[in-house]
Amino acid sequence: MRFNSYLIAVLAALCLGSMTTHAAESSPQATVEKLHGALLETMREGKSLGYQGRVSKLEPVLRGSFDFSTIARLVTGRHWAKLDKAKQQAFITVFTQLSIATYADNFSSLSNERFETRGVEDKKNTQLVKTAIVKPDGKEDTLNYALTKSTDGWRIINVVADGVSDLSLKRAEYTAVIGSNGIDTLIAKLNAKVASYEAANK
Amino acid sequence: MLNKRNSTFVFALTVSLLGAGCASTPKTSETSDANDPYEGFNRKAYGFNDTLDRNFFEPVARGYAKVTPEPVRAGVTKFFDNVNYINVIANDLLQGKGGQFASDTGRFVVNSTVGVGGLFDPATKIGLASHDEDLGQTFGKWGMGEGAYLVVPVIGPNSFRDLPNLASSMALNPLTWVNSIVTIPIGVLSAVNTRANLLEATSIRDQAALDPYTFVREAYRQQREYKIYDGNPPGEGYENYDEEKSDAAVLKIY
Repeated sequence: MRFNSYLIAVLAALCLGSMTTHAAESSPQATVEKLHGALLETMREGKSLGYQGRVSKLEPVLRGSFDFSTIARLVTGRHWAKLDKAKQQAFITVFTQLSIATYADNFSSLSNERFETRGVEDKKNTQLVKTAIVKPDGKEDTLNYALTKSTDGWRIINVVADGVSDLSLKRAEYTAVIGSNGIDTLIAKLNAKVASYEAANK
Repeated sequence: MLNKRNSTFVFALTVSLLGAGCASTPKTSETSDANDPYEGFNRKAYGFNDTLDRNFFEPVARGYAKVTPEPVRAGVTKFFDNVNYINVIANDLLQGKGGQFASDTGRFVVNSTVGVGGLFDPATKIGLASHDEDLGQTFGKWGMGEGAYLVVPVIGPNSFRDLPNLASSMALNPLTWVNSIVTIPIGVLSAVNTRANLLEATSIRDQAALDPYTFVREAYRQQREYKIYDGNPPGEGYENYDEEKSDAAVLKIY
């Protein structure tokens, strides 16, 4: 694997950033770039880490980048307020596991893609960090991150890939499942997805 | 890339199936924000398309992707993009995008000539970038609502606002007006090539979706909105989020 100077610069910046954790997470852009750095590193070592290795490596980074409890509330829509605390917590837990499993499954190897940050836009109290994954042939996919400020710093609450909002997709599916079958069915389905990622990577 | 007789047939088929859909519209979706009053019909059409795809289009597309080298597929994709480009140019004009109209006209001329009938894309290299416009986007730009979501048999996700583009893009495609001995095999190639380009997207769908129907519908609707605003849809941020209000509010967090 060869790396261009851009990547080296990004990785160098991230190494410096990790020495001063607070400074690194003080801006929305830093949160996103820290995530991208960890994804690149995971992809680069993807084969040797294996699926479980990628899960272990990504888990702390994802927990530190995403505001999973806010996302869990948003994707369950009107149903959230009707769930008791234990169910809310159970949903947050499985949703977080599924997110980690999805990343560990998808970011498994590197074929010279690179991440570029294109800009940051202020959308009221949400900050939008616009980025792209650029493939070696020049083709790219846009990845826009919406972040809000939590007590722990800037956290991602939505990822919009080529115009498709992850939050909205999940919300449409999850509210449909809760509406027709209830939260327990949804939790069971998400657990089954996590298990299927594990099984596919055995 | 259907010829006139085929397109009339598809149109008739669509209308008759739509009629069937309108007669019984069981509503299973959670909220009216899904914009899917014909969900009963749409789910049937989706099931039909999915069966057709799994048993026919997908295996054929996989075979095609296996035997054609990547540069060949890229050339084929460019060729079909180019013959479709008159539709883009017409919609540049309808949306009042003067600069884009000029550059897209230049792009079509350059790629049709220097680019050997569109097989190559020298226009991008000289700064005439590709744009994505169609009649549905034009209607959206003019302020028309998205219209009910519609799954068109064989063709796939669509909406009442986007439907007329099927006709206009066909009418503005030079291949439509060529003898059917030529257009039928070309039409088949176009369909297979398009499907091959979607292999990655459908594998993401199969892996991630809990309910593939809902997944595809929401992805389609959002991507249309994104294209109407040329990649910059007006997000509202998180500030206005209200759980008790419309579920659609969350769409604006971007």
